Amino acid sequence: MKLINGPKSGISRRTLLAGAAIGATQIAAPFVITARAAEAIKIGVLLPKSGPYAVQGETGKNGAQIAVDDFGGKVLDRPIQLVWLDESSPQSSQQNMRKLIEEEKVTAIQGGVSSGDVLAIMPVAEQAKMLLMATGPNATEITGKNCNKYTFRVDLPNKVTVQSVYPQLKERGKKWYFIVASYAWGIDAYNQMKDVLVKDGGTVLGYDQAPLGTTDFSSYILKLRQAKPDVLYVGLGGTDLTNLLKQMHEIGLTRQMALSAPIVNDSDLWAAGPDAAFGTYPKLWNYTGPHLSKRSAEFADAYKKKFGAPPEVEGWQDWFGATAILTAIKETNSTDSAKLVAFLEEHKFDGYKDAPIGFRNFDHQLVQPLLVATVKEKITDKYDYFNIDSEYPKDPSQLEAAYGSQADIGCQFKS
Amino acid sequence: MTELIISQVVNGLVLGFLYVLIAIGRSIIFGMLGVVNFAHGVFFALGAYFALTLQDSIGPWAIVLAPLGVGILGMLIEFALMRPLYGKDPLLGLFMTFGIALFTEELIRTIWGAAGRPFNPPSFLSGFIIWGPILVTKYRLFVLLLTIVILVALWLFLHGTRYGRIIRAGSRDPEMVSMLGINLKRVFTAVFGLGTAVAGIAGVLAAPLWSVVPSMSEAAIMPAFVVVTIGGLGSFGGAVISGLLVGVSVALSIQFWPAASTAVMYALMIVVLLIRPRGLLGESWERFE
Repeated sequence: MKLINGPKSGISRRTLLAGAAIGATQIAAPFVITARAAEAIKIGVLLPKSGPYAVQGETGKNGAQIAVDDFGGKVLDRPIQLVWLDESSPQSSQQNMRKLIEEEKVTAIQGGVSSGDVLAIMPVAEQAKMLLMATGPNATEITGKNCNKYTFRVDLPNKVTVQSVYPQLKERGKKWYFIVASYAWGIDAYNQMKDVLVKDGGTVLGYDQAPLGTTDFSSYILKLRQAKPDVLYVGLGGTDLTNLLKQMHEIGLTRQMALSAPIVNDSDLWAAGPDAAFGTYPKLWNYTGPHLSKRSAEFADAYKKKFGAPPEVEGWQDWFGATAILTAIKETNSTDSAKLVAFLEEHKFDGYKDAPIGFRNFDHQLVQPLLVATVKEKITDKYDYFNIDSEYPKDPSQLEAAYGSQADIGCQFKS
Repeated sequence: MTELIISQVVNGLVLGFLYVLIAIGRSIIFGMLGVVNFAHGVFFALGAYFALTLQDSIGPWAIVLAPLGVGILGMLIEFALMRPLYGKDPLLGLFMTFGIALFTEELIRTIWGAAGRPFNPPSFLSGFIIWGPILVTKYRLFVLLLTIVILVALWLFLHGTRYGRIIRAGSRDPEMVSMLGINLKRVFTAVFGLGTAVAGIAGVLAAPLWSVVPSMSEAAIMPAFVVVTIGGLGSFGGAVISGLLVGVSVALSIQFWPAASTAVMYALMIVVLLIRPRGLLGESWERFE
C-alpha cells in the first residue's frame, strides 16, 4: 500500500512500476509455489472420438486411464490429468495438438490411430519440442524417413509385420488380392507386402484402394470373387474391416480364402461377430494366451474390472505408452521434454512382454516381439477369438535385427 | 469385361435401393414439414440398436417393433423440441436437429457402449442368387423388395387417402388447411413419426450389412443428404431416381477407380446442383423461394 503513495515522495513512475512488479512477485511467490504443487501434470491424448476408428479411440483412452491408476493418480506429488481431444483428420489433429500444447500446456502427448494423422502432427511435435508417444499408427515411415527426435512409436511398422505373417500365408498360395484404405497406412501396407510377395515369385491379382470410412464393400467383393485369389490382404481397420467381414459373410466368402492385414484390432472382429470373423493376423498383443506376462495380465484384469470387458490391443498400446511417459517423468524428476526423450532412448521396460522392451535411440521405434494369431474355428467366448500360432521373431536373439538396422531404416534426427 | 460391368451396375442398383430407403424418410420430413433433418442418421442408428436390444427378449418381432419404437420417439421429439420452432427462422429447426443428432449419438454410446455389436442376417436369407453375370445376395434382394413395398405403400398413402391429401395440402398452405378446421399440429407430429420410423426400418435392415456402432449414423446421413439433394428436396420420385443413380455411380467407380468411390456421389451432387439447383425433380416451392 505504501508504494501506491510513492509518486508523492518523488519516485519516478518507471521505478515505481518496476518496484511494484518485484514486490508483487515476492508477495505472490509462495502462493505460486503452493499452486504449482497442486497443479496437475497434464498428458494430452489424441485419439478418435468419431469415425471409423472411434472404438480404438475409446479403448486407447481407457488403457491410458489404467496407467494413471497404476501410478495412484500422481507423479512428482502432482495429480495426473489426461486431456482427451479428438483425432478425426490430419488437419483437425494438428489443430487439437496445438490446443493441447498452447492452451492445456500438456507435458507430453500420446495417441494417434491413423498414420495419416500422426504424420501430420509429427512436425508440430518437433517444432514445439513436445514428446509425442505415437501409440497406434503403423506406416513404416513414422520411424523411418519421416522420423523425428520427439516422436516415439509403440505400434509396429508395416515393414516388420508383413515379414511376421508372410511365411504362414504363402502356404495358402501365391495369388493375392489387395484392398487397402487409400491413405498412408494402407498404401504403405500394400507396398511392403507386395515387395515381399513379388520377390518370392507371387502375383498380385488385384489392388484396390478404398476410401477410409467405406461402408459398402459389395462392389469390391464382386471383383474379388471374379479374381479368385488364394490370399486376400487388406489394409483396412476399424469399421472398414468390420464392414468387409460382414459383407464377405453375407455372400458366403467367409473362410473361403486366406485373409490377413498389416495389424488387427480385436474390437473390429468382435463387432463382426463369431460367424463373420476369420483370418490370420500379426498381433501386437493379446489379452490372453501363453505370451501374456504377469504385469500385462494385471493390466488386463484391472481393465476388465474397470470397464467390464477385456482390453483389446489398442488398450495395451496406450496403457504402455502412458506408462512409458509417466515412468520417464518420475525417473527424471522432470517434465522437460529433452530429459524425457533422453530417458526413453535408454530405458528398458521389463515385464511387459516375454523380453525386456525399449525404444531404439536411433529411430525411436519400440522393439518388441509380436504374435501371429489366427481366428479360432469355433468361437465360444464373446471376446476370446484368437489362437496364437507363433511369436515373431521365433529366435529371440533376432529381435533387434527383425526391426532393421540403422542403415535400412533411413531415419536421421535433425540435431 | 461387359459381364463385370453388368454385374456392377446391378449391384449398384441394389445398393441404390438401400440409399433410397435411407433417404426417403428424410425426404418426407422435408417435403411436408420443411425441416432439414440432420438427426435422420441417429434415428437410423436407433433402429439398429432398438432391434439389437429387443432381439434378446422378443426374437424376430424386434424387426417390426424397433422401427415403431423409433417412430414413437420421433413423435415425442417433434412434440417437445421441433413444434416450438415452426414458423420461425428455418435455420433454428436445422440447428435443433443437429443438436439432437449429437446428443443422441452420445446417448447411444453411453447406453450401449462404444464397441461395435455383431448383428447377423436371419439364416434363411443367407446365400445368393446367380443369373448370368448378375449376382445378388438373398438378403439384399429382400431389402430391395421391402423397399419397393414401403415406397408403394407410402405413395398410395400420400396420394390415395384423405390423410395423405391433408398432409400434402398442409405442407403447401398450412394456413388454409388450418382454417378448414384440421388440426395441423397433430398431422405434423404424425409425419415426423412416419419419417423417423422409415429411418428406423433402414437402420434395422442395414444392421446385418454395415457396422453397428454409435457413429453408424455417419454412414447414413451423408448418402441421405446427397440423395435428397440430387433428387430434389421433398420429391419422392426424385429420391428414388437419385438413390439408384448414386448406387450405380459408386459401384462403377469401384470397378474402375475405387479410391474415388466416396467422392463420386459428391461430384454428382455438384454437377446436378450446377445444372439444376432445385435437384432433378424438385418443384418450385414458394415457402422457400
